[in-house]
Amino acid sequence: MENLDYARLQMAFTLGFHIIFACIGMVMPFFMVVSHHKWLKTRNPVYLKLTKAWLKGVAIFFVTGAVSGTALSFELGMLWPEFMKHAGPIIGMPFSLEGAAFFVEAIALGFYLYGWNKLPEKFHWFTGVIIGVSGVLSGILVVAANGWMNAPSGFDYVNGQFTNVDPIQALLNPAWFSQALHMTLAAFVATSFGVAGIHAFQILRGKAVAVHKSAFKIAISFGAIAALLQPISGDISAKDVAERQPVKLAAMEAHFETEKGAPLFIGGIVDEEKKEVNYKIEIPKALSFLAFGDFDAEVKGLNEFPEEEIPPVAIVHYAFQVMVGIGTLLALAGILFFISLKKKSWMDSKKYWWFFMLLAPLGFLALEAGWVVTEVGRQPWIIYQIMRTSDAVTPMPGIKFSFFMYVGVYILLALTVTWLMQRQIKALNTQKD
Amino acid sequence: MLFFLLFSLLLYVLLGGADFGAGIVELFSSRENKKVNRDTIYRVMGPIWEANHIWLIILIVILWIAFPVYFNIIIIYLHVPLTLVLLGITMRGVSFVFRHYDAFQDKSQLVYNGLFRFSSFITPIFLGMCFAALVGGKLVVTEDYTNYGFYDLFMAPWFNGFGILVGLFYASLCAFLASTLLIGESEGDIRNMYIQKSKISTAVLVVLGFVLIAYGFFSEIAFIRDFVTNPISIICIILSGILLIPLWKFIRAGRRILSRYFAGLQVVLVLFAALVAHFPYVIITSSQEISLLEDISPDSVIMVLGISLIIGGGIILPGLFHLMKSFKMIKIFDRDEQQFQK
Repeated sequence: MENLDYARLQMAFTLGFHIIFACIGMVMPFFMVVSHHKWLKTRNPVYLKLTKAWLKGVAIFFVTGAVSGTALSFELGMLWPEFMKHAGPIIGMPFSLEGAAFFVEAIALGFYLYGWNKLPEKFHWFTGVIIGVSGVLSGILVVAANGWMNAPSGFDYVNGQFTNVDPIQALLNPAWFSQALHMTLAAFVATSFGVAGIHAFQILRGKAVAVHKSAFKIAISFGAIAALLQPISGDISAKDVAERQPVKLAAMEAHFETEKGAPLFIGGIVDEEKKEVNYKIEIPKALSFLAFGDFDAEVKGLNEFPEEEIPPVAIVHYAFQVMVGIGTLLALAGILFFISLKKKSWMDSKKYWWFFMLLAPLGFLALEAGWVVTEVGRQPWIIYQIMRTSDAVTPMPGIKFSFFMYVGVYILLALTVTWLMQRQIKALNTQKD
Repeated sequence: MLFFLLFSLLLYVLLGGADFGAGIVELFSSRENKKVNRDTIYRVMGPIWEANHIWLIILIVILWIAFPVYFNIIIIYLHVPLTLVLLGITMRGVSFVFRHYDAFQDKSQLVYNGLFRFSSFITPIFLGMCFAALVGGKLVVTEDYTNYGFYDLFMAPWFNGFGILVGLFYASLCAFLASTLLIGESEGDIRNMYIQKSKISTAVLVVLGFVLIAYGFFSEIAFIRDFVTNPISIICIILSGILLIPLWKFIRAGRRILSRYFAGLQVVLVLFAALVAHFPYVIITSSQEISLLEDISPDSVIMVLGISLIIGGGIILPGLFHLMKSFKMIKIFDRDEQQFQK
């Protein structure tokens, strides 16, 4: 493998890692403040216990998200210096605002963590709300930078030079809204189902059931709502991609031929050599409708585009299928949860808890798959139709070693965090009321 | 823009430095004092430790937005030491949090503590090495990657005697900052311990400073020669030396706030002396000097960045100040963290 491949792998790996931790760090504060609010209202000690347990989780995930984010802000330059040299000034705006939002989050976290019994109760609770809000805000701002890579705007590109730079227009690029909405909802879905699944497991084991049931309900409520909204946001995204990045859409659907009234492919095995998809299920005209809102609209196939501008089709297609499949399943699980609020007997059944426990990792899987779709789907471009990834990579050889180092360190970190969480739960279970 | 760049650099050197320093002090303490220090820094720095390292992010963001060409050189040629710095910051950050938020206090603490102390010590050394590489005159900026080996381009500029000296100098500066800061946060025996640490680090700092200048001067490093011939730099350094006398008076008199300001001021002077020596040619390569002010971003970018920094600063600084005020001063006699730990 070449330097470029290792640089891409390193970026993918570190970003993939950061996404999980950042999303958890972004969403968990919301669970925490809801539980905290319930404690203030009902004075039921279960909620205080839960708030403090989640708080420790927030602190641990915040720091892992923060350090991996710091590493990323350097890595962007270290791996892709040519990209940063030109893109840095243009998309600096979302990054500097993100820095500000993150700063606010860190300050609020300082207040919240150290403010127990020292600050006025309501103000203390409110600092918790600020953690959540500024966390989501910084997530949305970072996605703006990624949106710009998909829909570069806010500059004129003349003879290989970037002129007339307008950072505000770059921030408000056309891909921002749909991507940020999709990403934020995805963060809520993944984290909520993940956290709820862990508590479901504890309920199955019959440990400290009262605490875990309250925890489950708070977490899953967020997830269920987000999972039901996600298909709408997915539809907005698909229409957006269809319009701006037809080649990405074609790769997502593994669509080789240009067609009017194009069918939607579900599943199937992509044969990139022969340019066909085998063993797929076809839904007639569905793709045209989903992409353009018209059953007879023309969908461009991959064969329309020059060979060197086509992303790796199979990866993008499979990742897309995984994302949509899991998204649908989780939306159904959300409906199931709402029904179970009426039919309380369901919650006495072990099957119910088993079901939610098994769903726990799926949201994150969908999250990663979604990133693969948007990132791999943009290849070979780092800035869509402006700069190729291969032209942006660092001239320094030996990225291989840096890649393996990051893999080692991050795997160790992930294992440690998992182990720490397991210890937190153990502590929660053995605590006396 | 330059103001913001220097401002965040300064805050990083001061606050981040005190952060690193706390770990260094802990590394070079007896076993009992290690435990004491651990509790003290948790109390003092806990609430703001997250914020400290964000200055580094702001610094890097300003660099890449406003000075992209300059940033480009730093990020390509300092890849290796910067990776090590990142690794250090990661290890420090997570071990600091893990050691306080782990649900059980058992043997795993040994690992967190060891990691925290060790990475606190080596990270500022690598940071110092990065600075040394920029001004050391050994950087080779080239498009010709076949004639130069990996070592020449990516290792030699920072991995040398000058780099190690600058690194150690910065590390002892951190220790000086932290121990002087912590004097004001402690009582009785512990206070004496920090006073002693502060004395030692001051001595180490002065000695290293002289060795550094002498070494640089005799190895004909352009930066050092400019440094000793630049009157402003010299005045700054002498001034910071003289200020040691009132600093010690204040410490003895127990004026914790004033002594802190003096320690801060001294570091500011040292930093200023180092920067002004060669300004604005802050990168010195083997063949040329590259100005920070060359190739800055277009005005539209600078304008927007300036506005967002002012707005951001307007929100952040009062918050940060309030945070420090709420906890640091009140917490001096406050011992109920243990309760919270449960």
